[in-house]
Amino acid sequence: MTRAARGGEAAIVGAGATPYYFRGQSHPQTVYELIGKAILAALADAQLTLDDVDGFTFFAAGFDPGTIAEQLGIRRLTFSHIVSGYGSGMAGILDLASMGIETGRAKTILCIGAAQQVGRRYGQSLANFGVTPDNVFHRIAGLSGPGQALALSARRHMHLYGTRREAFGEIVLASRAAAATRETAIRRKPLTMDEYMASPMLADPLCRLDFCLETDGALAFVVTSAERAADLPQRPVYIAGAAQVGTRDWGRAFFWLNQSDEAFTTAGAGPVAQRLYEMTGLGPKDIDVALLYDHFSPLVIMQLEDYGFCKRGEGGPFVESGAIRLGGSLPINPHGGHLSEGYVVGMTHIREAVEQLRGTAVNQIKNARIALVTGGPAPIPMTGAILRNER
Amino acid sequence: MSARSIAPDLSALEVPWDVWSEPFWQATAERKLLMPHCTECGTFRWPAGPFCPQCQSQKVTWVPPGLGHIYSFTVLPVLGDAKDAPRHRVPVLVEFEQAKGVRLVSALIDAPLDGIAIGAAVEVDWLAAANATVPVFRLVSPPPSR
Repeated sequence: MTRAARGGEAAIVGAGATPYYFRGQSHPQTVYELIGKAILAALADAQLTLDDVDGFTFFAAGFDPGTIAEQLGIRRLTFSHIVSGYGSGMAGILDLASMGIETGRAKTILCIGAAQQVGRRYGQSLANFGVTPDNVFHRIAGLSGPGQALALSARRHMHLYGTRREAFGEIVLASRAAAATRETAIRRKPLTMDEYMASPMLADPLCRLDFCLETDGALAFVVTSAERAADLPQRPVYIAGAAQVGTRDWGRAFFWLNQSDEAFTTAGAGPVAQRLYEMTGLGPKDIDVALLYDHFSPLVIMQLEDYGFCKRGEGGPFVESGAIRLGGSLPINPHGGHLSEGYVVGMTHIREAVEQLRGTAVNQIKNARIALVTGGPAPIPMTGAILRNER
Repeated sequence: MSARSIAPDLSALEVPWDVWSEPFWQATAERKLLMPHCTECGTFRWPAGPFCPQCQSQKVTWVPPGLGHIYSFTVLPVLGDAKDAPRHRVPVLVEFEQAKGVRLVSALIDAPLDGIAIGAAVEVDWLAAANATVPVFRLVSPPPSR
């Protein structure tokens, strides 16, 4: 029996976040201060206390449980685990939390993610690494950030399938239109296609507006058993399924650039989608709202194809049809996403999924019952999760 | 006249290598581009590493990969350049006719920015790093600079 048919054993019962700050502007708070504030907000939302907490989950480049426990005064942890993917592993924190709850290793697990960019930038993250025998070629090429490397995939997608810049632009415009009403969003001014086309090229075919925000902030989610969730105040958001998949074809993704020919113009999420749909017994037609990892606009197109919302190569026309807008057939990122709201390595997408499924979202999708949340296209494991508000 | 991509200044770059990548850099010192090829099953691998991902053999033969073609590329403005005189770097991902399944990322130099296309043939050229000779690429038979 699939997990969804069993009903989902674990549920998100609390969500907390700091404000989202333009990169560097969370200073002089420390990143652990941001994390602590998000945790306290999540517990308050769940009407639970620090004494209830006995588990942590993180994704790679995660945070030190000892520091968090010392600073906040957490008495006893029986579960503390890290998914070994970075943005790719983000949605896997829900898989770990499910494992912890379903196996009885912990009763109240905090899923934690944060970003702070004081004195360093994610946009230059490839150049921040020390030079190695493998990455020296990226250095020689001049690829200093993920967007520059992913521009290679975007250009090849355009070459193979005729994908147009207008499709990238529509993703940015849709994101900005959604963010206009969302107070937490950093970029809220509506945008026209002319303005998009006039944006300077940063990594042709990607212009400045195809690049997401660089943001500081922290988010935390409280996960417990579905049984216990029934006695807590918030409408439970069940983890119907969360998957982690890695393949040699994808490997280190844009850090490698030797993905298989079939994988190169994808977001690397095809195997995750397949496993997630198998786990849950659900499919693309069941998804009411998709929170897709949109750090660079073309990746939305590739994920639409990976997750089976359209055929390979048809993501551009799908987007240009208006389908991803609020009111479209598949609303994407009604919170404005990484492109317009903020970028905390995918965590803001879980928050939006929770709000949509509680029925409290700013741009509420009517009768949203099932939400997809995806991790980004980075070194394996790639991850995704399907959340639902009915057992 | 179209602006052309610049050659990066690599003179301060100290190229690191390990026992598996060292033959690559020994060859480039003689201006030869060679790629690692499994002696047992003939599968190419990149970057150079301890095992063939197909048969797990550790035996490697270094062979010329043949003519290169552009698999993809991007065009990057050099940060900090004046708006009226921007320069551009072109990272290029190259695949080879006789080394199927591997791609080398490098710089495409002296290429007209409006004349670069996926599939175009490229030939290797060489730039000096602090301790190594670095392979970069040019379009084959580029039109002469005017």
